[in-house]
Amino acid sequence: MTLRRRLLLLLLPSLALLLSAGALVDRWVALASTREAYDRALSGMARAAVVYLQADAGSPRLLAHSGELLRQIDVDDPTPPTAHPAVDGIAQALQQEQRYLAITGPDGALISGDASLAALTPRPPPDTALRGPADRMARGALFQDAQLHGHTVRMVSLELPSAGGPLMLSLAETLERRDRTEHVMLLGKLLVDFAELDLTLLVVWLAVYFGLLPVGRLRAQAEAHASRELRRFDESDVPAELRPVVTSFNRVLELLHDAAAAQRRFVADAAHQLRTPVAGLVAQIELLRADARTRRLQPELERVQRGAQTLAHTANQLLSLARAEPFSGMQEKFQPVALDALVKQLVERHIDRADQAGIDLGADAQPAQVYGDAWLLEDLLTNLIDNALKYASRGGRVTVRSGVEGAGHYLEVEDDGPGIPESERARVRERFYRRAGSPGMGVGLGLAIVDEIARAHGGHLSIGTGPALRGARMRVQFTLSGGA
Amino acid sequence: MRLLLVEDDELVADAVVRGLSIAGFTVDHVARAQHARAALGTEHFDLAILDIGLPDGDGLSLLQALRSAGCGTPVLMLTARFTLPDKVRAFELGADDFLMKPFEQAELVARCRALLRRANQLPGGTVRLGRLSADLAGRQLLLDGAAVELTRREWAVLETLLHNLGRVVAKERLLQALAGWEHDLSANAVETHISRLRAKLGDAMTIRAIRGLGYRLEEPAAPGAAVADPRRRS
Repeated sequence: MTLRRRLLLLLLPSLALLLSAGALVDRWVALASTREAYDRALSGMARAAVVYLQADAGSPRLLAHSGELLRQIDVDDPTPPTAHPAVDGIAQALQQEQRYLAITGPDGALISGDASLAALTPRPPPDTALRGPADRMARGALFQDAQLHGHTVRMVSLELPSAGGPLMLSLAETLERRDRTEHVMLLGKLLVDFAELDLTLLVVWLAVYFGLLPVGRLRAQAEAHASRELRRFDESDVPAELRPVVTSFNRVLELLHDAAAAQRRFVADAAHQLRTPVAGLVAQIELLRADARTRRLQPELERVQRGAQTLAHTANQLLSLARAEPFSGMQEKFQPVALDALVKQLVERHIDRADQAGIDLGADAQPAQVYGDAWLLEDLLTNLIDNALKYASRGGRVTVRSGVEGAGHYLEVEDDGPGIPESERARVRERFYRRAGSPGMGVGLGLAIVDEIARAHGGHLSIGTGPALRGARMRVQFTLSGGA
Repeated sequence: MRLLLVEDDELVADAVVRGLSIAGFTVDHVARAQHARAALGTEHFDLAILDIGLPDGDGLSLLQALRSAGCGTPVLMLTARFTLPDKVRAFELGADDFLMKPFEQAELVARCRALLRRANQLPGGTVRLGRLSADLAGRQLLLDGAAVELTRREWAVLETLLHNLGRVVAKERLLQALAGWEHDLSANAVETHISRLRAKLGDAMTIRAIRGLGYRLEEPAAPGAAVADPRRRS
């Protein structure tokens, strides 16, 4: 699991949970405050009526006025008060607004207003009995939820002292209005909460993304190491938490680099050391074969000579391989190398060997250039030519080419030998792999060396088929062309 | 021709001494740099073969000492070390050729011959090539002592090849050599003159065509260099 994924998995669900809980609390607060506000407004209307009625108790005219008043103080209703309507008219008008008014006597009988509401109105209490635990009281006002004319209503009842004992005034309204307000409020809250959630998650994601950028850069560096060069990681840009890791990794890389260098040196030294005695051996055998006294031993001597030559060849190949292994700073020594000149030089060098083998060796050197190490490239082409001369049949043809195709400059050697079957093309690049029935004194390092040098130069060895579907065509295509 | 071999490895030294003797050279052998310095200081050698790795100092410093002492003897370096800086340094210090170990005897002999010929060849002098003798200044070619008539164009081609004996000469270069004589060179002018030369000189000289590169005048094999046994003669 990536670090980014882990951080996001830890952060995002818990944040979402927290924000959802916040939204729930918001909803509860919104509902409670809406209810409170509407209750206060309802009791305010009722109280205003009470005050008004108290001033002129018992007068039906005033009762009519009280209806008018109720309409006046109703902030929700913009209609102007009607002048002196009848009480029933008022009640009817109120009913159209889904509000109901009732005044009951001390015995609970309806004095004026809505009969059904009167039936719901509690009796005026002897005293404090009015304060029940289930209903909320606000300064002597008794609130309750009830069913009236098929609607759920919120009603408030107030005591209205009069000469004939306490009267009760009840005012009820349906929940429609407060429900609407509640909806709007909840919707608004929900939208805000949702936007908040989204923004928070986005901010978290961005923070994680940017916070982890140095890790990404480190990974990119590591991937750039694919060239097998043991280069150090750049420590300057690494966050403090990661620096110890990178530092110790660099230390390991250094050790590895030293070990690789030591191994390379060892192989090179060993090969160097082998060369002088092998040179003596080869020269001595050559002389022995030329000595007339050994005429009867020629077949044996020839075998001995072949063995010595294989030994010499192997020492050379091991050295080539040790040289070709990439090491840090290798590319700093690169210089533009003309491939056509290299082709001419190496074809000339191999002419005599080709003659001995009865092979027509030729060149097709078109101008081409790469940025590289002249000696390694010489090794590369020498191995390709050796290989072709080994496999081409007597009387056959080997052509060495250089040129440009597309953006890539290339070296190519083509022979008309048996070719390399598709199934073996990957394996022949492996070290010490020899195809069954390989002629000559090879030890299976030739194409491994070619492959190694090609890669050190940002090139690629491709193995194909020669013209007329015969033979092998080995091409190394380079990407680091030297500046013209 | 007297050669000095400076080589500390017995096996190599023995083989080289015998091989070069068979090829007709007189070879003196020393194993130490100080002996080499003494020998070269007191006696004349036509060619020195120096190994780079010697027990008492390397061949490169020996070469440097020789050259700064004014010794002009051609020097062929032998080495088991194969590094570019070594090679560059050897040439800078005045080495004339460079041969890697292990090497084939035939190659060593050929290189020695080429070096000696280059050293002894005066500008415009006479070049001997098997049965042929070419007087470069007098523009005269003798085959077994008898003069061979060559056109000026054929001579231009032959002269260029002779100057690069044993080395490939690009076709373009031969064309340039002809350019002074022919105004409208056809594409196969070189081929034409080469085939005429071949016809006139027969097997006294081999001009080898190398596909895509050019031509090479082959060095003749030295008489007695191939299979010979000096002990039988003695």
